[in-house]
Amino acid sequence: MSSIENVFENLRLELRRGCLTLAVLAQLRQEHYGYTLRKELAERGLEIEESTLYPLLRRLEAQGLLVSEWREEEKRNKRFYRLSGEGQQILGQLLEEWQAINASINRIL
Amino acid sequence: MDLLERYLQAVKKHLPGKKQDDILAELRANLESQLEDKEAELGRPLTQGEMEDWLRTIGPPILVASRYQPQQYLIGPALYPVYLYVLRVSALWAIVIYTVVNAVVIPLTSPTEASAMAAVVRAPGVLITVAAWVTLIFAAIEFGAARFPEKCSPIAGLTGKWSPSSLPPLEKDTPQGKKPRGYATAVAEVVFEFLFLVWLLLIPQHPFLVLGPGVVFLDAGPFQLAHAWWTFFWWIVALNALQVAWHSVDLARGTWRNRSTLERIAAKVFGLAPLVLMLDVRDNVYVLLKNPAVDRAHYGSALESINKSVHLGLLVVTTIVALQLAWEIAQAMVQISRGRAAAH
Repeated sequence: MSSIENVFENLRLELRRGCLTLAVLAQLRQEHYGYTLRKELAERGLEIEESTLYPLLRRLEAQGLLVSEWREEEKRNKRFYRLSGEGQQILGQLLEEWQAINASINRIL
Repeated sequence: MDLLERYLQAVKKHLPGKKQDDILAELRANLESQLEDKEAELGRPLTQGEMEDWLRTIGPPILVASRYQPQQYLIGPALYPVYLYVLRVSALWAIVIYTVVNAVVIPLTSPTEASAMAAVVRAPGVLITVAAWVTLIFAAIEFGAARFPEKCSPIAGLTGKWSPSSLPPLEKDTPQGKKPRGYATAVAEVVFEFLFLVWLLLIPQHPFLVLGPGVVFLDAGPFQLAHAWWTFFWWIVALNALQVAWHSVDLARGTWRNRSTLERIAAKVFGLAPLVLMLDVRDNVYVLLKNPAVDRAHYGSALESINKSVHLGLLVVTTIVALQLAWEIAQAMVQISRGRAAAH
């Protein structure tokens, strides 16, 4: 990878990093377990690696934004996640922030 | 499936202890779901090669497991600039103190080449020890701040509680053609000025530091230095002590980059004073006979020549310093008049 491609890749990852949390919180307005969440995000154009998504879910749960429970589905125990009350509040605030940033960028462009 | 089990086993070894089983169960459920979908798409189980390709895309087990560790820094990005600054200052001062201590102790206890070399060889170890302690302290601060953010006091300078009025004064532009001095240069100057001061203070008890082997002739010979030299000596000591103090304060205040004109002129005036005093010594007697009654007949004319030479030497040095002082004053006046012209 050339140096300019490296620069772009680093900046792209930085840009994605903040967006991923917002996307995950938004998607978890409906209950999902890890794999189906990843599939849903991918179908909506946001590819995210397993090794990024699953630890992110744990961190968001540790922060109190998600709640989870183990349930059996299709003869397999799966951990289902959904937004907590605080998570919904934070999601609302993040969406406002996102829209404000989006509007600012559009004005700049 | 055996390969998936081996993969999960490898991931488990690096997971945080308390939640290993829980994390692994979740990861297993997700990966098995993914594997089922892949096999459903193909209509058959994955081959060994396809399994390996798939697991390779997920990532090495240690990397996958590391992402479940809580995010932690040895020294985080907020503290790191402060840590680097403290590390640099500590290392430089450690070398200063180490050099000074050895410069004093070695000549007094075991003034051999081997002792000096041993001190040089030990120096990197001193630096590593200092760096290790500084790193340990900052790692402890980071640990405390991360674990107990509400209890840790904010670090001065990082929380906006610094005072703009405590900033160093505005530095005048560097004279054309001169580069501003770097921090390392300024510290090195203080180090050598301090060493020079220590050397000066040791001379009365250890004249060999000035004369070397020639001290034998001083002890055995008929001549001795006049008392006026003590006045000269203490003036030089005071001048150097003042310079060390002034430059140390510059370092502490952050104004080491350029020496002020006032400082340069003051140093020249202070350096000129003892020279003028020595020129004024009564009858220009700088060297005396130890036993004038016995030695005057034999060494009288030599004594006169010595005193005349010393007087001439002092005259030359005084003239040079006076000319340097005049030059500094002239430059300062030119700068002032240029500054006034620019202001108008």
